Amino acid sequence: MTTLINQNPIIYEASAGHSTREWREEDDDENSADAIDAQEIFDLIRSISDPEHPLSLEQLNVTQRDHIQVSDENNSILVEFTPTIPHCSMATLIGLCIRVRLLRCLPSRFKVDISVRKGTHQSEHAVNKQLNDKERVAAALENSHLLEVVNQCLATAT
Amino acid sequence: MPRLEQLAELTGHEDRVWCATWHPTKPILATCSGDKTVRIWQATNAQDPSKWQCTNVLEGGHKRTIRSVAWSPDGRQLATGSFDATTGIWERDEDENGDYECVATLEGHENETKSIAWSNSGALLATCSRDKSVWIWEVEEDNDFECLSVLQEHTQDVKMVAWHPTEELLASASYDDTIKIWKDDDDDWYCSDTLQGHESTVWAIDFAPSGDQIVSASADQTLKIWKRFPPGNPLGIVTPRRGEPVWKCVATVAGQHERCIYSVSWSKAHGLIASAGADNTIRLFEAIDARPEAPGVLVEIVAVAEAKEAHGTSDINSVAWYPSETHGDWLASGGDDGSVRIWRLVQ
Repeated sequence: MTTLINQNPIIYEASAGHSTREWREEDDDENSADAIDAQEIFDLIRSISDPEHPLSLEQLNVTQRDHIQVSDENNSILVEFTPTIPHCSMATLIGLCIRVRLLRCLPSRFKVDISVRKGTHQSEHAVNKQLNDKERVAAALENSHLLEVVNQCLATAT
Repeated sequence: MPRLEQLAELTGHEDRVWCATWHPTKPILATCSGDKTVRIWQATNAQDPSKWQCTNVLEGGHKRTIRSVAWSPDGRQLATGSFDATTGIWERDEDENGDYECVATLEGHENETKSIAWSNSGALLATCSRDKSVWIWEVEEDNDFECLSVLQEHTQDVKMVAWHPTEELLASASYDDTIKIWKDDDDDWYCSDTLQGHESTVWAIDFAPSGDQIVSASADQTLKIWKRFPPGNPLGIVTPRRGEPVWKCVATVAGQHERCIYSVSWSKAHGLIASAGADNTIRLFEAIDARPEAPGVLVEIVAVAEAKEAHGTSDINSVAWYPSETHGDWLASGGDDGSVRIWRLVQ
């Protein structure tokens, strides 16, 4: 049996239902522009499965709404995530899953930066550099084995 | 004020365009894409650069993204570098129907080939890869290519290779944040200098028309100009390696591009530098000697023109000036939107 990298992760309570968004007055107004915000990004990624546990990124506290910054006006998104342990070898895979999820769901006008939260991974710089190198990402997505793993993690994303 | 005017938008690629390269002598452009094809575009009438047609689609040569494309100096052959780790050599069949066929496939790299470049004489071909190596190939008769050297001094992916415009001297840019200069000593290739200064991946490099300067583009959002100082230079710049020139950074362009810079082109016709990247903007710069009494020592970079949202909200992966004076004011660009655009510099 393969040994898990983090055998005993802390599990957090996930918010129930499809969206954790609170109702806003403008939601009833069909004429108001529906800007993309941090909540919407969080809803897209929180139910992605962790590559090694049958748990979601939200349940493992890998993603949090407060760690997402969105500027709809400037077409920019920054998603910071927190690996469960500082030597997590799955960090780049988790980041890739988040990137692919957003790539598939968001309008192409958005520039997405993904990074591990400062101080939460021992190879922070290397992981961030790889996750934000578009050539490496493009090549990774042409690797059918890797793509299959990513798709498995994304199968639970709702 | 000079400005860039869009002459044409060429559509047909079905995925992002990674690289656009002009034919060395004719108004013909080759572009390659994530759709695994190369497209050849030709101005239908050289007097009217607003009308272009796709004359050829090179398909079936590669199983994965074609990352880069390069014409041989005589324009007879095209080389393609692909994520499938191989380099393809293509030739146009003039007798038959004018189709391009793949006449050779160069294998050896362990994974993605990122860039290829022909030496000025056409006698050598350089390739580089995510496997951290640069390969030098000798072009022999009958479409035979012999690997002369495998250079493994970069510590990370090698993103691009570029030959000096007249000498057999190669520059390579890497994910390890450096540029390396490679030279040949009786068929023995060695690294003669390592250019350090960028704070992130160096995506692209190009030589100045004279060959004495290099411009580099980086994920650190800056451009740098590097100048070659020979031993015994009148300025007294120390050349630490016996008999070897040293390359020094003489200018840094910061605060212009707001995201990664993916491509840079130094015009051989008029000397302007074009750069573009993930901030959707093409920028033009002029490199001016800040101290004319000591040429090249301190270079001042002046922003000349810009084209914002040149490919809408998409990243721009490639910019290329037309290589000669015939149409020296033409610039080609390729972007994540899958389009290729032709621009004209209007003075």
